[in-house]
Amino acid sequence: MSSQEEGELSSPEITAIGISFGNSNSSIAYTSGEGKAEVIANEEGDRQIPSVLSYIEGEEYHGTQAKSQLVRNSKNTVAYFRDFLGRDFDSIDPTPCHASAHPQKHESTVAFSIQDQESDAQNIVTVSEITTRHIRRLASSASDFLGKKVNAAVITVPTNVTEEQRVALSEAAKKAGVEVLQMILEPTAAVLAYDARPEAKIKDKIIVVADLGGTRSDIAIVASRGGIYSILSTSHDYETAAGVQLDQVLIDHFAKEFIKKNKTDPRKNERSMAKLKLEAEATKKALSLGGNASCSVESLANGIDFSSTINRTRYELLAGKVFGAFTRLIEEAVRKADLDILDVDEVILSGGTSHTPKISQNLQRLFPPTTRILSPSTLPTAIDPSSLSARGAAIQASLVQEFEKDDIEQSTHPMVTVTPHLRNAIGVMVVSEDVKKGLFSALVEKETAVPCRRTGVFAVPRDGGDVIVKICEGLREIKVSKKEKAKINGKPASDDSELDSDDEEDEEAEEIREKVWKVGTVLAEAGVKGVKKGGKVEVRIKVEADLGVQVEVREAGGKGGVRGTLEKARVVENGSA
Amino acid sequence: MAAVHFSLPLPVLPQGWSAEKDFKSIGQLSPATQRNIEPVGPHFLAHERRKRHQRTFSEDDR
Ligand SMILES: Nc1ncnc2c1ncn2[C@@H]1O[C@H](COP(=O)(O)OP(=O)(O)OP(=O)(O)O)[C@@H](O)[C@H]1O
Ligand SMILES: [Mg+2]
Repeated sequence: MSSQEEGELSSPEITAIGISFGNSNSSIAYTSGEGKAEVIANEEGDRQIPSVLSYIEGEEYHGTQAKSQLVRNSKNTVAYFRDFLGRDFDSIDPTPCHASAHPQKHESTVAFSIQDQESDAQNIVTVSEITTRHIRRLASSASDFLGKKVNAAVITVPTNVTEEQRVALSEAAKKAGVEVLQMILEPTAAVLAYDARPEAKIKDKIIVVADLGGTRSDIAIVASRGGIYSILSTSHDYETAAGVQLDQVLIDHFAKEFIKKNKTDPRKNERSMAKLKLEAEATKKALSLGGNASCSVESLANGIDFSSTINRTRYELLAGKVFGAFTRLIEEAVRKADLDILDVDEVILSGGTSHTPKISQNLQRLFPPTTRILSPSTLPTAIDPSSLSARGAAIQASLVQEFEKDDIEQSTHPMVTVTPHLRNAIGVMVVSEDVKKGLFSALVEKETAVPCRRTGVFAVPRDGGDVIVKICEGLREIKVSKKEKAKINGKPASDDSELDSDDEEDEEAEEIREKVWKVGTVLAEAGVKGVKKGGKVEVRIKVEADLGVQVEVREAGGKGGVRGTLEKARVVENGSA
Repeated sequence: MAAVHFSLPLPVLPQGWSAEKDFKSIGQLSPATQRNIEPVGPHFLAHERRKRHQRTFSEDDR
């Protein structure tokens, strides 16, 4: 991208923010002068702003205020609409709007019939118009905070977004006075939010991004190679595992308590149900922090107040099935990427539901101890999962805001982004403890996009001398062995997480699974002669864009060295994600 | 990216091993897979710059 030409007709100043726009909540963020992403609180002080609009006698309410209108004014309250944008009515699932304004078919799109003016008239308001109003409110909060007019944004979208949805979002934002500089994928934004921290080290790693939201959960397996991200697979769930399913567990629990005492089911009355739903969600959030939480609703049903408490253990027991479904969804995505649980270096928990301690605990059991689980309950330095998407978008906004929109479009075009990725790791043979057996040390991991280069520094035998650098491809295999009473290593956690298997007697021999390298094709050999005692050998491998490989080997600190090239490989198939 | 250090030693050069300029090209990389890389982050920008201007890493470093 080339930055704006100097002396060009002065275009208006661009003030860009990052926006995450979910079905349940939205967030706005900006990048400070020091390059740090910060989430902006709206006038009400909310950083997670419910994606809800409500109308009372022509007045528009937004965010938390609008959400609370779900009790008294549900018919004029529009919620959970993001996934309807850019879709035709026949392809949407209206279930999440059960207790708010219902989506309806309108020409080729989806609309809501609401009383949004002072008059009594029911107006048909398209989902596109609702989105425009929502983004206008978000941009206005950001403008108030920043003290200048926000007129551009990077917005996050789910990995299965369609081209129609992108176009619809871009148009809706434009009508709100916000130019969408770029749409970036939610999991990529989460990875970027972590990588942009000053203390972050760029390393090659496989990352699972689990974005656990309100109405949906989305998993992405990301290969992060030298700071470049490729999505290897995705999985989605709209029915069994997300925030609303956890709310429902508590709603049912409290409803049963209420029925026992009062012989009436609050779930049968719309108003009662709406009240209980809001309170149950608050109880659920409180249970992420404390061991106990209360739930009180004034005049829940038949004028009777309700008040109760629940402890975390009980909640985790009741929600065991839902928690199990999160784990299974993640396992599915790992499998789809042709990877093993042992290949995962990091799990980034994103989205509001990721605050739930039990979900991270289950993942700690699923993955080996070497896998870092980045969530508030497992890592004190974790970033607030609810803010990851918006932060990533803000960082990207700061990177692209000086470029022309056309330039951004060109550089995000598949011509640039579709790239050959290495099928196998490339590495060097070293001597193992068992001198007769060579050991493969990976230098370039598989799924690295080209061009790429990596440098390794290798030890030599104690007295130095002549050594051989044997460059090979390596194939990762999972070795399974049985051992009596061994420690759990990457063994899948049981789905019925309420049973703590530690307490049970393990009668069967424990399975040990480990990652081992099998040597594949030998690519090249280089001889390095006369390495001095205690010396080191530096090996640099470069794979060019055309898949030509260059190898450079030299004694560290020495001059000269050995160079060579390999025949070019071919690109064949398309990857799955 | 920073160089990675490996503590296990390289093997001793076998007796009688010889190659022109001490380098022997033996095999070929397995065919690569076409995938999308995410157009996001500072490292992508650098990648994209190299691709557009057909520059190599070392030229880019200068
Ligand atoms: N501290 C918390 N503990 C547990 N759950 C929480 C917490 N904070 C938020 N949530 C839940 O997270 C969900 C919202 O997540 P998020 O804001 O990521 O949603 P979203 O991406 O807008 O939603 P959707 O999946 O509907 O598109 C809600 O179900 C909310 O109750
Ligand atoms: Mg979300």
